[in-house]
Amino acid sequence: MTPASAAAGPPSAGAGDVVLRAEHVSVEYAGAAPTRAVRDVSLELRRGEVLGIAGESGCGKSTLAYALARLLRPPARLASGTIRFYGRDQGEPVDIMALDAASLRRFRWSKVSMVFQSAMNALNPVISLRKQFADIFAEHVPEMDSAAREQRSRELLEMVGISADRIRSYPHELSGGMRQRVVIAMALALRPEIVIMDEPTTALDVVVQQEILDEIHQLKDEIGFSIVFITHDLSLLLDISDRLAVMYAGKIVEHGPSELVAARPAHPYTYALLHSFPELRAERRELRGVPGSPPDLRATIPGCAFAPRCGFAFDPCTPLHPGLRPPSHTSGLALAAGPPGNWTVACHLHDRELNPAGPPAEIAPCGERSAPAIAAREDR
Amino acid sequence: MSILEVRDLSVEFAQRGGSRLRAVDNVSFALRAGETLALVGESGSGKSTVARALCHLVTPSGGEVLLRGEPAGRRGRALRRYRSEVQLVLQDPFASLNPSFSVEHHIHRPLRISGHPRAGIDQRIDQLLQSVNLSPPRVMARKYPHELSGGQRQRVAIARALAPDPAVMLADEPVSMLDVSIRLEILNLLDTLKRDRNLALLYITHDLATARHFSARIMVMYRGEIVEQGPADEVILNPAHPYTQLLESAVPHAAASRAQLAAQRRERLQARKADPAAERREIAASTGCPFRARCPHAMEICATHPPDFEVRPGHTARCWLHDRAPAAKPAGVS
Repeated sequence: MTPASAAAGPPSAGAGDVVLRAEHVSVEYAGAAPTRAVRDVSLELRRGEVLGIAGESGCGKSTLAYALARLLRPPARLASGTIRFYGRDQGEPVDIMALDAASLRRFRWSKVSMVFQSAMNALNPVISLRKQFADIFAEHVPEMDSAAREQRSRELLEMVGISADRIRSYPHELSGGMRQRVVIAMALALRPEIVIMDEPTTALDVVVQQEILDEIHQLKDEIGFSIVFITHDLSLLLDISDRLAVMYAGKIVEHGPSELVAARPAHPYTYALLHSFPELRAERRELRGVPGSPPDLRATIPGCAFAPRCGFAFDPCTPLHPGLRPPSHTSGLALAAGPPGNWTVACHLHDRELNPAGPPAEIAPCGERSAPAIAAREDR
Repeated sequence: MSILEVRDLSVEFAQRGGSRLRAVDNVSFALRAGETLALVGESGSGKSTVARALCHLVTPSGGEVLLRGEPAGRRGRALRRYRSEVQLVLQDPFASLNPSFSVEHHIHRPLRISGHPRAGIDQRIDQLLQSVNLSPPRVMARKYPHELSGGQRQRVAIARALAPDPAVMLADEPVSMLDVSIRLEILNLLDTLKRDRNLALLYITHDLATARHFSARIMVMYRGEIVEQGPADEVILNPAHPYTQLLESAVPHAAASRAQLAAQRRERLQARKADPAAERREIAASTGCPFRARCPHAMEICATHPPDFEVRPGHTARCWLHDRAPAAKPAGVS
């Protein structure tokens, strides 16, 4: 731990506002040299919000999501950290890691459910939808009789825009989009408070993707649950998420309100990611991608993991490990970002002690010297 | 100058029960040297089948393909010559390279097959690897696919496609399996190669944004037909066919604010609710315009198959809305 890393603790919101709080979570994949896929990540999920997690493949975003639902399987294991769930009922927080097998079974799906990437594989191909829905209720709500199960299953299908008669269907009789809707309906079957969605629309066409995202949003507003939304598609994430966490090499490197992060990325990696896909309607501009490749997560990484690929790297980046701190910006933007800790970035460029000149224009969220650059970007 | 000309290409597949599915329906276009043409559409629209037909991996049921004005060779030596001129880069570099052979082997074979002498073949392999930015080439040549990242594998696949020194490159979703951060590098590489080698590039994708940014012209495919084609900027910024408009509108607006996004979302949901035939997309119209079941502007005349109408010079749409006849046009369609 360097002095810089102690600058900002985990962001905190008002009590009762948080539904899931993860602190200092690390996940390792066992092996001769363990792969440290998630490294000391702290985050909060607030009630009713969509938290987007972005990053390249292999950055640990799916591993983190699995850890949140305690779905890690060997060789993955939670090396350290706590994950607490704060239920709607305002009871005692649940320490997810301490649950025994029986309570974990009850907890999953009814409190935290998951939508996996490939709906084709998430549904059992030889069982009708009716039976697959019934199984959920049989396991979690054994007191429910078959008529009630049938009724609820039909409601769920209707809710995601599929005709209730389809309950007789087998997965292969449905299109990819419909299967994904069914999986979402199943995830919502027990009115969970958190739904973790791991690339839920990646295999789908744009038009279907949009329809499903619209429905997810509507359901979220009607039913009231929180979403952890994981995808590598940053433009999609900016569209759907309220807050955004950008992961790199197992760590969160930037965390803040999506709208602000999108407009004024504070971390060079976020900036690079935002500039690595063309925008459909914008002027043509030169696009570079992010040269280089992510580090080997089996190794210990001295300092900032992104430094070797970073165009702005300077002396402190390699020896010193950057902690999350508020970006150095002027009061106007800080105000927009909300309470301190609401927007954090792990980059020495924002540390006035190490970098008295302040961050370069590209990643300076605001400030006098960068004002023209930002204006120019907004013109595009 | 057009290198590859496709005229009325059709591909049919036999279906259970004896009926036939028209995956590609009378498609015509031309690929010019040093130009990228994008072919966009949803999955199942037939865009990959076009590429496969152009490589003679499926047999077309109709139409002709002309390479430099000559009919494409169908068998023997003529087919081999055609294939060395028209090369394919596939979507999944994890599947398109043989795991038990080295990088060198993957490039060596097409070189030999296209008649490269054994002498100097190593230098040629090194050149090819260098041209796709795999360096140092001797080290990369000895590697096996499992030792490479997805982006590196796709570079090998591109080097392999370049080995016979083709005039035409068909890139079928070349980046959709790759990570966002490396997609652009591969697309930029294809762009550079196209320019340096004067390649005619067919870029097949479902991603409108890269289609627009990396190609001169765009063709939009729906159920086997080219429903709209024209200059890339025009087709995306000024889409004329209702299907293209639908595709365009489904791409998230990065510039919109949260409030705008929420408002748009509500609007779309309401529109969908007002129109309960949510599953009608599954229904194919057997005659007339294939899009009419989903089209918000469908009219009586749409039961008759529309011809291509010129919207602007060089920009056509296969839609009755663009009939110059004085039929009333619904609002919202330019």
